Formats: sequence, structure tokens, C-alpha cells
Amino acid sequence: MLARNETIFKWLLYGLATLLCFLVQAVLQRFTFWGVIPFLYPLLPAVVSAYEGTTSGAIYGLAVGVACDLLLPGPIPCFYTLVFPLVGLCSALIAQSLLPAGVLCSLVVSVPAFLLTDGFHCFLLWTGGQSAWPTGGSVMIREFCVSVILVLPVTWLFASVFRRTRFDN
Amino acid sequence: MKNFLKNHGLWILFAAAVISVALAVLSFFSSTSSPLTNLAGILASPFRAAYTEIATWFNDKQNYYKDTTALEAENAALKRRIAEMERAVRQGEEASAENERLWQLLNLHRRREDFQFEPAFITEHTVTNWTSSLTLDKGTKHDVAVNDCVIDETGALVGVVSKVGYNWCTVLTIADTDTSLGAQVFRTKDLGLAVGDFALMGGNRLRLDYLPAGCQLVAGDLVQTSGLGVYYPSGLTIGSVDEVQVDDSGSVSYAILAPAADFDQLTEVFVITSFDDVVIPADDTAAEP
Repeated sequence: MLARNETIFKWLLYGLATLLCFLVQAVLQRFTFWGVIPFLYPLLPAVVSAYEGTTSGAIYGLAVGVACDLLLPGPIPCFYTLVFPLVGLCSALIAQSLLPAGVLCSLVVSVPAFLLTDGFHCFLLWTGGQSAWPTGGSVMIREFCVSVILVLPVTWLFASVFRRTRFDN
Repeated sequence: MKNFLKNHGLWILFAAAVISVALAVLSFFSSTSSPLTNLAGILASPFRAAYTEIATWFNDKQNYYKDTTALEAENAALKRRIAEMERAVRQGEEASAENERLWQLLNLHRRREDFQFEPAFITEHTVTNWTSSLTLDKGTKHDVAVNDCVIDETGALVGVVSKVGYNWCTVLTIADTDTSLGAQVFRTKDLGLAVGDFALMGGNRLRLDYLPAGCQLVAGDLVQTSGLGVYYPSGLTIGSVDEVQVDDSGSVSYAILAPAADFDQLTEVFVITSFDDVVIPADDTAAEP
């Protein structure tokens, strides 16, 4: 078990890496590819949870969700706060039972990450009386395709933090 | 040699004297140069030509260098001047565009003196694929509040403030799925509800729902805010009818609207922070561009 100061150091590094990803997203959202903006945020809880497990991953997802809800407009005030812990939990379970954490695992867990996030968007639009499933499905597929490339740098970044903190341990 | 000069010296001197006299006589009576001068000139001519060629070449090179240096300096000065003029032209164009915007706003303000405007710059356009929003650089510090309408300089409705902070606010455009506005067709006076539709949002379009049965809409009809309910001011241009969807009975089901404001091209907008519930005459709004 890590000492308290080592745990603080580890999550400080994760926090800095997350901040870097937020800055990258701020740049990416000015560009449109295939009619959609690349969306980095669902990848963060998915990748980190694959390395850190269910509890830590879900808490990290909660924190990222709160940050996203504060920064992004959403259909409901706590949209990302609800979805991202689920994404983290799902990714951690996949990493524990199917694939060890790594690039391949990150690619696999990014699928449920986008399914949950965009599926919840579609569901809320549908409950609001919008016929969102066909258009939402199209947006989800395109968003996944243009964002999945970002799995590689995101995984490299968080894997570096993970290795560094394990080495310290 | 000494004997030779001793024996023939007088003869040589005599021959030289005879030749000199002959040359002098020839020079005196000839219209051209003397033969010796002529001969010297003939012999010197190629050297003169060569010297002249070299001097000319040297002068050319010298002049070329001087000209090139002067031209380079002149070119640099002209480039600086062009850059300054281009900058001045750009400033002029920006000032002209701003002037035009402000004139249009002034015209709008003349028509709607009850409006209190807060000009704002757009700091961020849409940030996710599921909303159509703008972030502005004005907030509660500038009396901006939730549900304030945001228009462009022509008076076209851009959206409604959904979140507001101290020096920022988020505006959901009229194409967003969370936007819903009371609307009126300018020509027919039919009332409806302009709502964002996710399937249309990507193409910057919205729906006009709840139209009365038998409503006779045509493409191009102007749609404005109705002002009913006093939530939003009346007479703001939402857009024009792009397409009319007719159900099986032949009555209009709903219309697809093209917003008058181009959200992607906007840089500056105006938040209506205050207005009176005064419905203006229709003729006045018709003059709106």
C-alpha cells in the first residue's frame, strides 16, 4: 500500500496530466473533422480506470465529470457527473477481467465510454421528445472515429504516470 | 660601330634631315594627319579600343552595383510602405465593418428604444457535438442575466443566455435542442413555437411547431418572436421558412426554419439586458434587414 504522500503525489501527477488533456481539448474543439468535434473527455476516466481499478477509477471519473459539468453545457446539470463514474467502473471491470491495461485495453474501453456518454445524450434527447436515435447514433459513430486516435497519446500519458508512481512504490 | 658612324655619320644625318623636311612638307600640304602621327594612331587604336572596353565594362559594373543597391533600398522602403498601407486598409475595413454594425444597431435602437444593449464578444463557439452554444465575455458584472436574448447587429436573434457568471455567460443558440421560443409568421400572423431539433441542429436549422391547422406558409416567410408570455421581446427576427412539411391531410405539420443569424461567422453580439413589453407595429419591423 502506498504511503499517503506517495498517493498524493500520484494523484497530483494524474491531475496535471488531466489538466493537459483539458488544454488539448480546448484547442481541438476549434476544429471539426467529419462534421464533429473530437471529444477527449470520455477517454480520461476510461483510460485511468483501466490502470487504477474500480474504486479509484470511479472516483476519478466523478472528479472529471464534475469538472466537465462546470465547463460544458449539458442537457442536465449533472450529466457528466453521472456518466463518467460509470465509464470508469466499466473500464476497470474490463481491464480486470478481460484485458490488461495498455493501448489495446484503452481502445476496447473507449467503446463503452462513448457508448455510455453519447447513449445517455440520446436517451435524454429522446425523453425530451426529440427523435434523436438515428442522428445521435450517427454523431456517436463519427465522434468515436475522430476521437479514438487520441487514445494513443492519452494512454501513453497516463501509463507514464502509472509507471512512474509504481516505480516510486 | 664607331668606324661606321665616322664613315657614314654625315650621310645618316643628311638622310634624317631630308626625311624630316619631307615629312614637314607633307604635313604642311596634307589635309590628314602626318604619316607618323597616323601610324602612331593606327598602332595605338587597338589599345585605345581595349582600354575603352575595359573602362566601359568597369563603369557598367560600378553603375550596376550602385543601381542594385539603390533599388534594393527602394524596394525595402516600398515594401515597408505597402505593409503600412495594407495595415491601414485592414484597419479601415475593420472600422468600416464596425461602423456598419453600429449603424445597424443604431437603427434597431431607434426602432426599439426600450432595448438596453450590452455588446459582447464571442470567446468560444460550440464546444460539444450535442449542443449549439456560444460563450460571451460579459456576465453579471454587466447586468447580463439568464434568459436574456442575444442578437446580432441586424437584430436577428442568436440565442438565449442559459448560464451566467461574473464576467462570462453561455448562450444556447436558437438551433439548440433546449431552446424554445414563441414565434409569429410575419406575413400570415400565425403563431407557433420555434424549437431546436437535434436532427436539424447540425445543419443550423430549427423547427416551427404547433402551427394552426390550414396555415398557408411558403418558403421564405419571415418568422419573428411573438413576445407572448413576456419572456422574450417581440419582433426579433428568428429566421425564414426553409421548408414546409405537410401531413397527409394537407395541413401544415411543421416548418423548418433557417436562422437569420450565421452563428459560425459571428464575432460580436448584443445582449438585451432590459426591454419593455411593447409590441411594435408590423410595418416598422418589416424594414429590418
